[in-house]
Amino acid sequence: MKAKSVCVVTCVASTLVAGLALGQNFFGPQKGGSGIDISGDWFWSGEQDAAYMTAAGAVADYGSIPLNAAGRMYALSWDPARIEGRQQQCPGYGVPYVYYSPGNFRFWEERDPFTQRLIAIHMYFQTSEVHRTIWMDGRPHPPAYAPHTFAGFSTGKWDGSFLTITTDHLKRAWLRSNGSLYSDQATVIERLYRHGDELTAFTTTYDPLYLQEPYTKAMVLQHNTKDPDAWLYACEDSQEVVGRREDQVPNYLFGKNPFLHQFADANNVPLLGALGGAQTMHVEFQQTLKEPAASLEKQALAETVPPPGPEQASKAVDPDPHDGKVHVWHVQGSVYMLIGDGGNIAVQVGDQGALLVDAGAGRLSDQVVSEVSKLSAKPIQFILNTSVHADHTGGDAKLSAAGEDPSLAGSFFAAQSPIAATGMFTDPNHHATLLAQNNVQVRMYDEKLPLTMIPSDTYLEGRRRKFHNDELVEMFYVPHASTDGDSIVQFRKSDVIATGDVFDTTRYPFIDVKNGGTIQGEIDALDFILDKTGYRHDEDGGTMIIPGHGRVSDEWDVGEYRDMLAIIRDRVEAMKSKGATLAQVKAAKLTYDYDPRYGAIAGPWTTDMFVEAVYNTLSLPKAKK
Amino acid sequence: MGAAAPAHDDRRGAIEEPDPLKETYLARFRCAPASCEKNMLGRFFRLSLILAISIAPPALLAQGRRGAPQGPPPSGRSGAPVDLTGYWVSLVTSDWQYRMVPPVKIAAGPRAPESIVGFSGIPMNPAGEKVAEAWDPAKDQAAGEQCKAYGAGNIMRIPERIHITWEDDETMKLETDAGMQIRYFEFKKPMRTGGDWQGVSRASWEAVPAAFGFLPTGSLKVVTTNFKAGYLNKNGVPYSANALVTELFDRADQPAIEVDHQEFPGAAYLVVTRTVVDPAYLLGPYLTAVQFQKEPDGSKWNPTPCSVR
Repeated sequence: MKAKSVCVVTCVASTLVAGLALGQNFFGPQKGGSGIDISGDWFWSGEQDAAYMTAAGAVADYGSIPLNAAGRMYALSWDPARIEGRQQQCPGYGVPYVYYSPGNFRFWEERDPFTQRLIAIHMYFQTSEVHRTIWMDGRPHPPAYAPHTFAGFSTGKWDGSFLTITTDHLKRAWLRSNGSLYSDQATVIERLYRHGDELTAFTTTYDPLYLQEPYTKAMVLQHNTKDPDAWLYACEDSQEVVGRREDQVPNYLFGKNPFLHQFADANNVPLLGALGGAQTMHVEFQQTLKEPAASLEKQALAETVPPPGPEQASKAVDPDPHDGKVHVWHVQGSVYMLIGDGGNIAVQVGDQGALLVDAGAGRLSDQVVSEVSKLSAKPIQFILNTSVHADHTGGDAKLSAAGEDPSLAGSFFAAQSPIAATGMFTDPNHHATLLAQNNVQVRMYDEKLPLTMIPSDTYLEGRRRKFHNDELVEMFYVPHASTDGDSIVQFRKSDVIATGDVFDTTRYPFIDVKNGGTIQGEIDALDFILDKTGYRHDEDGGTMIIPGHGRVSDEWDVGEYRDMLAIIRDRVEAMKSKGATLAQVKAAKLTYDYDPRYGAIAGPWTTDMFVEAVYNTLSLPKAKK
Repeated sequence: MGAAAPAHDDRRGAIEEPDPLKETYLARFRCAPASCEKNMLGRFFRLSLILAISIAPPALLAQGRRGAPQGPPPSGRSGAPVDLTGYWVSLVTSDWQYRMVPPVKIAAGPRAPESIVGFSGIPMNPAGEKVAEAWDPAKDQAAGEQCKAYGAGNIMRIPERIHITWEDDETMKLETDAGMQIRYFEFKKPMRTGGDWQGVSRASWEAVPAAFGFLPTGSLKVVTTNFKAGYLNKNGVPYSANALVTELFDRADQPAIEVDHQEFPGAAYLVVTRTVVDPAYLLGPYLTAVQFQKEPDGSKWNPTPCSVR
């Protein structure tokens, strides 16, 4: 036996050696190749850009960041006191600046237990307890209507020995946490080079909305050979300023930042350099800095207000594929989102009939019915309209006709007085019941729309509630937001809120003045939503939001939208209170920093229309809390 | 069957039944039963060893690629896993105010060790701080030492264009337009003796240990010594003549990419990770990384002399 064992071992060893000589490595690499292992504990060396640990930076300290004019205006209007806002206290960190956050990092591999193939590389960053997953298995990135997170969605591949990572689906976050931002439309490419106990992270940030050119950055991480035994970062938000309204968002008006020169003067940096821009990262800028100080100052001051020129339209990708198809996304719990037929449709399924929030524009209702039937074994029972808008009610008739509401037919009330109890309900045996706030019904009657698409079940104020498909479903009236008949719908157990046009990730909110919409009502409605949301971890996840248009979102996204509207309202109010006309307000380009994300210069709802709606409805009294 | 032969397995101490297969196998070797097993073992071992050695080329056990043909090791140029030649321009996005803006003198006086004002996070020790506080650009100018910040310890952090070529098969040459400096990265025993701003640079293509050999990483490693004392920042943060500078040069090729319907052209980048060790003036290793972008040609090459500011 001993002889046999020795023989076997010798033969195997010899075969291996021979095999290696012939170029066959029996120990790897696996299919697709692999690179240098980056697993282990790391930390940022912190010697380069030391002042930017946690990405900090002073006010008006944007040198070397290739901000465009809109990005600069956004940054200059940012007041550090804004982090007192509840949604701004515990945001997560994204790449690239997570690499120079303080604290410890840990990277590890995830492998298939049977094949040992690399599935993912995981990264954990102590600050904000960020967990990133870099998928190494070739999976595609999710569609544009999928939710975004601070860590984004990342896929990786080996380039020789080094790792290249592509990340998108990021949230709006900081390049420095002084207002210099990248948008939620950015894509970041990272390359990681390991040299022994040093790991160089070279990142390139592409953001057509706020950066003139790609922003490259190189940072060095050091390997921690001993577990630092420090991995957590507790953060919870609170009401930091008692008595402050939620929609009081600290901000500086254009051209009025009181700290504009503070960093530049303290550090002997010309203001033109401190304001950033692509020129500041190029070597030729050293020649520019030799110009007379007065000339540099003049150029700099010109950059503190919106430049002249045509209006900007949004450069963001429309999450709706516009491919003639209805697409389905599982939001969470029992709730799905259908996108593709005008406004988004929320679908709640379970043991009872499907409950829909809104019905889309009605162009692809057959597909909507088909998709709902794949999700639910029961027909559509309820359709809740969030407003009167055609892109949310156009499908009412067809979708209702495809469903049935068995809760009415044969009920006690129906037997007592069929006409009185159910006369308003269009043939419940063969139609789903349409519900809405009463003003929706009134306006649809006024427009003489077919009865089959008019909600027959209405409520006046407060809320309407049902326990349906094993959870509480509440319909809340939010007056004078987009219209005077808006509702938002909350699914308690699924922890999902469908907002209708109150929240829209594709454009400025449609403040339908003709139908009773106001800017303050819109802001109050967003505050109302935020009073009902919670995040799972550091402003990521938790309560999921289905907007009237656009991608699945969460509390952070709604908070950003609310802050934007509060800031724009403040700007318009500041001018109007001094007697400025609508024309003067429009000429001031008060939405300049948000136009790359939400602006429109053509179509049914333009930036001009939005500014006009804000200006005209500012005189209405603010809704009381 | 007749009586079985006694077993030779002392561990068991029992009589083993005869194995007809074994008997047949041994018979094929036609050896005496008592010594057959021992011989068979020896023959197996010898055969296997001969087989392995005859197939495995000697290069398998040498540094570099597996299975490489026998012969002299490749030169620095022929063995290059990546092409670093060409014109490259700095993209100044790190330590921007210390690199792009004319320097500010560091105020003298006590400060917390973690203070970064004027230091940009450089881990200076008290001796280094004392030298930095005494910085006098006029004095440097008068002494003809305008290039103190352009030495091996800092040259790659100067906003500049660089031009990389092969001087010969074993020497890579790096020139800068800012300060008009020349560095030689020598892959064999250095011919240069140093004592100037750029010192002596020993170059190699980095390789990391891997199973049964070494794996080239694609990085150029340059270790530089024997230079004149210089500045880590233009505002007089010193490094001594006894410092050690280690640099790793990595190339990153970014293909064209579309983001939000906007097309961004492809670009090649050069990332230089640098470590400076200098017990004379630093508390510990000083780590930085900078990047350059490739340019199509030298049309923007702009030689300028060293400047104290």
